[in-house]
Amino acid sequence: MSTLLEVSGVSVTFDGFRAINNLSIAIGEPELRAVIGPNGAGKTTFMDIVTGKTKPDEGKVLWGERSVNLLNYSESQIAKMGIGRKFQKPTVFEDQSVRDNLAMALANKRGPFSVLIWRPTDRDSARIEELAAEVGLSERLDDSAGILSHGQKQWLEIGMLLAQDPRLLLVDEPAAGMTPAEREHTTDLLKRAAKTRAVMVIEHDMEFIRRLNCRVTVLHEGSVLAEGSLDHVTGNQQVIDVYLGR
Amino acid sequence: MPFDIPRTTATPAASKRSFLHENPSVLWFMGLLGVFTLGVTILSEGFGIGLISTNLVKILGMTLCLCLIAIAMDVVWGYCGILSLGHFAFFGLGGYAIGMWLMYARTEINIRDSLGRGTIPPTELEVSEAVAAQIFGVVGSSDLPLIWTFAHSLTFQLAMIVLVPGLLALIFGWLAFRSRVTGVYLSILTQAMTLALSLYLFQNDTGLRGNNGLSGLQNIPGALHVPQSVISMWFFWASAFALGAGYLLFAWVVAGKFGSVIRAIRDNEARVRFLGYNVEGYKLFVFTITAVVSGIAGALYYPQAGIINPAEIAPIASIYLAVWVAIGGRGRLYGAVIGAAFVSLLSSWLTGGGAPNIDLGFYRIVWTDWWLVLLGLGFVAVTLFFPKGIGGLFDYLVRKKP
Repeated sequence: MSTLLEVSGVSVTFDGFRAINNLSIAIGEPELRAVIGPNGAGKTTFMDIVTGKTKPDEGKVLWGERSVNLLNYSESQIAKMGIGRKFQKPTVFEDQSVRDNLAMALANKRGPFSVLIWRPTDRDSARIEELAAEVGLSERLDDSAGILSHGQKQWLEIGMLLAQDPRLLLVDEPAAGMTPAEREHTTDLLKRAAKTRAVMVIEHDMEFIRRLNCRVTVLHEGSVLAEGSLDHVTGNQQVIDVYLGR
Repeated sequence: MPFDIPRTTATPAASKRSFLHENPSVLWFMGLLGVFTLGVTILSEGFGIGLISTNLVKILGMTLCLCLIAIAMDVVWGYCGILSLGHFAFFGLGGYAIGMWLMYARTEINIRDSLGRGTIPPTELEVSEAVAAQIFGVVGSSDLPLIWTFAHSLTFQLAMIVLVPGLLALIFGWLAFRSRVTGVYLSILTQAMTLALSLYLFQNDTGLRGNNGLSGLQNIPGALHVPQSVISMWFFWASAFALGAGYLLFAWVVAGKFGSVIRAIRDNEARVRFLGYNVEGYKLFVFTITAVVSGIAGALYYPQAGIINPAEIAPIASIYLAVWVAIGGRGRLYGAVIGAAFVSLLSSWLTGGGAPNIDLGFYRIVWTDWWLVLLGLGFVAVTLFFPKGIGGLFDYLVRKKP
């Protein structure tokens, strides 16, 4: 397992509020990692920094074998390098069909001219069917994404994430609003994806994290409080004080 | 069997069907446009039985040009979510580009006629100076401005119809989109652009005759002997052809994955960025291509109108354009066509004295005064009660299969 993403010494301040404070965190490939922490711990800001939405005041975000500094790139360039992101609130394009949503995410050329003349090849269509089957939406391909249930939208977004074929998946609260059966399915999906890729999951639900059975990083006030197995971090007195104890 | 992965190469039928088969509204539109063009031709004075006056043919031809800029507006606003309030600037620039040639070439012919009556044939310099004096005398100048250097060349001015609006849109769009100016701020910026351009053109020393504008554009050099009844039909056909071609082009652009991406940008541009698409590049592409089409529409419109002046590019024109598209129904091309045709024809009828004034006894509704009030109320009503516009009515006719 080699290091894929290395965040080191990153700090960011919003109007005097230090959202991220000298944060250092690394993830290998392949690896499954859970990130937990109380509200305001900086979990979402951390994702914003990695995906290029927020530029930090200091620090480095190094990516891949050649240790490219991601801070010099825009959101779309970072996405093309292989970082996919799933938002906390499912954000799929509700006006469009499940098929079109997936087609947009497929790892094809992204320039306006290539997209203009793009027509689905047999391989693309097969890949869309395959992804839809994987997230359980085979029957809904031609339905508009807006009429899907909340859980199905979450899955569609995970499907779009997989369609991008990223090396690192950043997944923000994937199980929010799901039934127990749906949660189980989601855990399976993430664990399977993590066999070949780096997957970082932000979650609040301890039961869900236990089922992921992976290394856990606890964030607090913008920096890493503890890291290790779930049992290790839940036994840590500081973690109990700031997070679990409340 | 949710985990059964199909291994066959059998693709869904939808992706293999032809573009027209998937978009029946395009065929319907082309058919109706063809029938309309044929009908007007048969009823025209120039080529038919003369039931439609030449003046009405011009109004209809101009309406087709307005429909063309309306579909461009629909693509940029209805599909891509950029509420541009400056597309009439591009329309006007297209008109100025062709107007320069029309005016120069016609004046040159007249000058050569009158100078040629003398015993010594005039030199090129004499002709050029006389043309300049004739065109610019009205703004107190007799020098040919630099931008008129190639006004004698039809090819050059035709190229300018596309290049000037295209380059302006490219540079303006690049600056605006790169800074991630969006929403109402972008709309204000586009208004500022069109206002600045119009104020600039109002000045006498800009080389485009200030508030006089360019006139006599209905006279086509090389066809000065051809009656207007015939010329009006030429332009009507050209406008119909341009509208058909523009409709086909935009229908194709918005039908595929490109349309999918720009609608996604409209709905949530941040999300599209995280999918790896360069949102600014797409916006710039759409803004520029629609500006070019607007320029072409303008170049066909003003020879039919006969005159172009800076008032045509005033900010209000671009706002009307947004109103047409909203009333017709944005996000569908035929909606934009319906909106532009319906509102602009209604406007000509009510303000041109065609509509009877209504006497309420205590008050007399004079449409020339009340038309804008009616339009404003109509716009508010559509926005509040029929957000899909007139085009939305077609959803009731065509039920989507389950």
